[in-house]
Amino acid sequence: MRRIAMAIATAGVIAGSLTGVPTASAASTNNITPPPAPVAPFPTPIITALDCYGTTGPAGCGPGWVWRNGWRGPACYVC
Amino acid sequence: MKRNHLAVIVAGLMSAATIGAGAASADDYTTLLIDPNFVFDTVQYSGGAPTPAPGGQPGAARVFTHNDGRFITDTVWVLPDAAAATAAAAAAQSTAGIANPKTEPVQVGTGGTFISGTSADGSQSLGLLTFTQGNAASAISFTGPANDPPDATLATDLGQAQAALITSRMGG
Repeated sequence: MRRIAMAIATAGVIAGSLTGVPTASAASTNNITPPPAPVAPFPTPIITALDCYGTTGPAGCGPGWVWRNGWRGPACYVC
Repeated sequence: MKRNHLAVIVAGLMSAATIGAGAASADDYTTLLIDPNFVFDTVQYSGGAPTPAPGGQPGAARVFTHNDGRFITDTVWVLPDAAAATAAAAAAQSTAGIANPKTEPVQVGTGGTFISGTSADGSQSLGLLTFTQGNAASAISFTGPANDPPDATLATDLGQAQAALITSRMGG
């Protein structure tokens, strides 16, 4: 009989300690630093077309240059 | 790349000039004139007949006309001394008649100066490079479309070739 009483008492102690667990967890959640607000990865790039043709030109001039006849004769000139 | 070929260009011009040197008189300064076709590695320019003694001064001048109508006039005077050459270069600047002028120094000869602007009515772009090389003075003028003005780099490339040719023919 005494042993049964001890078992019931032990079970009650355990049950009582478990009763407060959720409350403790909820309290500790309030102390966690909130995650940072999401940031846009990069600003939208501003792209300016350099080549008059939008490509490297029919004669293979680099971007920003165009093939035409000018002071130096037919050559790549700045757009 | 083209600048690296300057020495080769001048050497080629020297060879070509030397071939005809036997027939040229002592006062034939046409061999001092630079051809823009050689400097710019093109065949777009047609050279007119050289004019001896431009402005009544010893020297030569020649007009090189591009196939689109723009043209370059190359003038070289050979004067008694460096002071007279400097005066000739200054006179060329004062009579250029360039409207809205922008003047900038360039690394050509002695006192290299490039003036760019427009014609009085704005219908053409104009440029003038002047410099001296010892007792020689040079004026290289550019006349082209209003929307494609000559720039200092262009003038410098041509002027350095002109200065090198003068030095080669006349000495330093």
